[in-house]
Amino acid sequence: MSEPTLSLADERLTLANRFLLPTQLLLVFIVAFPLLMQLYVSMTWWTPLDGESWIQAWRSWNWFDNFRYLAVDSDLWAAIWRTVLFVVIAVPIQFLLGLFLATMFVEGVRGRPVLYSIVLMPMMVVPAVAGYIFFLVFQQQGPLNALLATFWPEASNLNWLSDVDRAFVAVIIADVWQWTPLMFLLLYAGLMAVPEDQLRAARILGAGWWHRFRYIALPRMKTVMIIALALRTIECFKIFDMLYVMTGGGPGVATESLSLYLYKLTFQDLEWSYVAAIGLTVLVVLSAVAGLLINRAAKAANRDVVDAGARTPLAARPAEA
Amino acid sequence: MSSTTHPAALVGRRRWLPSGLLLRTVAVALFAAIALLPLSWMATMAFKPPSEWSPSSGFPSFLPKNPTWGNFRYIFTGESEDSIVSLSSTAVMPIISSLLTSTLGTLIALIAGTAAAYAVAREKAGSSVGLSLLQLRIFPPLAVMIPVMIMWSFLGMTDTWWGLSLIYGIVTLPFSFWLMKAYFDELPREIEEAAMVEGCTAFEAFRQITLPIVAPAVASTALFIFILNWSDYLIALLLTRKDWTTIPVYMNSLATAMGGQLYGAKSALGLIAAIPPVILGISIQRFLVRGLTFGALKQ
Repeated sequence: MSEPTLSLADERLTLANRFLLPTQLLLVFIVAFPLLMQLYVSMTWWTPLDGESWIQAWRSWNWFDNFRYLAVDSDLWAAIWRTVLFVVIAVPIQFLLGLFLATMFVEGVRGRPVLYSIVLMPMMVVPAVAGYIFFLVFQQQGPLNALLATFWPEASNLNWLSDVDRAFVAVIIADVWQWTPLMFLLLYAGLMAVPEDQLRAARILGAGWWHRFRYIALPRMKTVMIIALALRTIECFKIFDMLYVMTGGGPGVATESLSLYLYKLTFQDLEWSYVAAIGLTVLVVLSAVAGLLINRAAKAANRDVVDAGARTPLAARPAEA
Repeated sequence: MSSTTHPAALVGRRRWLPSGLLLRTVAVALFAAIALLPLSWMATMAFKPPSEWSPSSGFPSFLPKNPTWGNFRYIFTGESEDSIVSLSSTAVMPIISSLLTSTLGTLIALIAGTAAAYAVAREKAGSSVGLSLLQLRIFPPLAVMIPVMIMWSFLGMTDTWWGLSLIYGIVTLPFSFWLMKAYFDELPREIEEAAMVEGCTAFEAFRQITLPIVAPAVASTALFIFILNWSDYLIALLLTRKDWTTIPVYMNSLATAMGGQLYGAKSALGLIAAIPPVILGISIQRFLVRGLTFGALKQ
């Protein structure tokens, strides 16, 4: 038997490398190879309509024509704009509602376990099914109009899904319904993690609800809030299932998000090489943005670690934002 | 009196507590009602006969006037007594497909992800794996699906159970990796070292010491990933046709030659599709914060 400690470490490293293999293979399979393929196809005019295999795509080489086109494609930019608008409206609403719910639960409610489970349910519903649910709800002869009609008779003629603006509102409502529970879940966990001793001390010293929330709880919830907002913003930007089932992008293109537009290009117009070009651009932009943000987040995390060491007891410090 | 109030609760003065509690409970109950109502609308629709959901019947009532299992019979057998045209394919295959591909996909993600997480957590080998996996989740699926569709078609994996399971496994791999890595990070290295000094190989130490300890975490992760796979729509829409389509895609495409909306049948399917994730989700609710933040936060 050779030196125990050396062979232990080596043995562990060998096992580790073996354990990494499946994932690395899958990553190469799903990242490296498709990326090259996408790069290749995006510089051609190839579509499946050509009848040839993608390998023959070089026959219709066009360099950067697809990329030039995507810069001036008004349908694409309209879809992007609609998606941005959707995200910028829906995400803050669900954030604030989730925050409100979280504070309610933290203050205390009767029947907490039951209410907690019920309130979480919408986010566990299959998004496509949720889309169908709201397709039903927003029907002209549907329950929403029936409910509204009890105090506003003209509501029975209200058309949601065939009206350009109301359809947009409808999908926002659907998204808020489905994902407020997620915001609530995360923010509640964050709120519960705020150290109680400081809150108690503040309460004893006479600080009111708003002060305690704003100066003690909120700063300690920064990480959770950022994670919650980032997660939901990314997912909301990608939205497809719910919209596809609920409105199919309609009426017209009123609710056509970026994903829906890409879907239309892929299956209706069969412009696969163009979609490949758009996809690559999106990948590059998102990677750059993500990289920047992760960098800033890492720096901020380091800064917080340094600051934490310098904290003095609450009573000795004047309140700071 | 304070049993329902968390110590960190921000409200102080005791004499406000009773009415404050009532107000808060009412507010939350309102949210709970809003959460339940749309769901129950679809649930009750599943039991309504066609006469109650055709356009001519005016505003439908909440509860079915003549509750029936007819919609469920219809989607399972394709035949209906209510003069709707028969279906060309029943819901049986989609249900089998969803079950099979979600389970297999979960297994793939779990095995590959747990192994890789162990490797990175313990030996810091291949640390770029984690970031690559994270990037997978940031990209809109359609930005990357064209090459995947081409590849799958090229390799003959379109509309197959193994092709779908494989892509499900890959797409949920980031979750199992980051979740299990967080758990492995919490375990001291000495655990395996103690066993290895006694003569175990590294793999035996992993299998007989580490794994049993993280088994509950693996279980929760598995259920979480299963929910994700089961809820998928886009991937199944792109990579399956008729043979292995999953429940959500099948549900949305449900139509007969006569047109008409088939609200009842689709609602029945929606109910079947929605129930497993809701039940599983509630059973792992303690795990959800961790699962949804890739292990970054705990609750």
